[in-house]
Amino acid sequence: MRVLVLAAISFTTFKWVLIPIRTEGSSMLPTYTPDRMHFVNRLAYGAGGPVRGDVVAIKMAGPRVLYVKRIVGLPGESVAIAGGLVQINGVPLSEPYVRHRGPWDVDEVTLGPREYFVIGDNRGMSVGEHDFGRVEMGRILGKVVF
Amino acid sequence: MARFAAIVLTAVAIGAGAWYVLTPADSGAPVRARLRALSDMVNRSTVDGRGAEGRSAQLSAFLSEDVDVDLGHGAAPIRGRHTVIGMAERLQPRIAAFRLQFEDMSVVMGPSGDTADVHLTAEFIRRSITTGEESLDAREFMIGMRRVGAEWQIAKVTAVDTLK
Repeated sequence: MRVLVLAAISFTTFKWVLIPIRTEGSSMLPTYTPDRMHFVNRLAYGAGGPVRGDVVAIKMAGPRVLYVKRIVGLPGESVAIAGGLVQINGVPLSEPYVRHRGPWDVDEVTLGPREYFVIGDNRGMSVGEHDFGRVEMGRILGKVVF
Repeated sequence: MARFAAIVLTAVAIGAGAWYVLTPADSGAPVRARLRALSDMVNRSTVDGRGAEGRSAQLSAFLSEDVDVDLGHGAAPIRGRHTVIGMAERLQPRIAAFRLQFEDMSVVMGPSGDTADVHLTAEFIRRSITTGEESLDAREFMIGMRRVGAEWQIAKVTAVDTLK
């Protein structure tokens, strides 16, 4: 009976609460290296939305394939990238997690009321090879916790 | 404690049984199967040694005559089966280096039952010839399918920008 209860709790936890993921690609280096297991907390944003600096999992067509990106811009803010530096409402953002920066330039965008600006930590990549941009809250599956 | 656990497990079992019985049959299953057959064909063609002609004939069967492919990012739409096949033939050496996998397929059937809209994530898994390491690229698509005779064919492919 204990085994059954444990199995039921494990199934519920890892299916609906703490989702295991395996990272691929280099866009979150050096924070997240490829081929490592991490967990996404689906309940992290039940009471409030993500905050700047959170690493989140973003759904594509569903929950099996996800982007893992960092939140840099919050709803209503203006975000631009100039010379590799992210600027929020015209003020450069301090990002201690970024080790290498390419000379990226991205025009300013203003986020909608439910939009966040997400980007990977590896800014040493070519800007064309790095997926980043605005994402709706509804696509954010949860917070990558460890 | 044991009685409580037994009650919970019984309730879960009854719920699962009710869900299984009451959930309507999946009318999108043939559409999913058709797309899986397409990815199987693409992946098989990387190892089966068939010539470009044989592969084109296989691929043709999955596409409608007037198929419309919009990959976004400013790329011009690709229209017509012959154009798509021609491009696939030219890209064959590159296509042969990756595997294609469809994930998170959700199917919405049209009212007539002869059309369907599919939302999916396509994974492109490339293996380096030199190191053997695999790298993964993924992209979200909306695919319009149409039943022609007994077979489902792709009529429209639109790339979706997950991040805008």
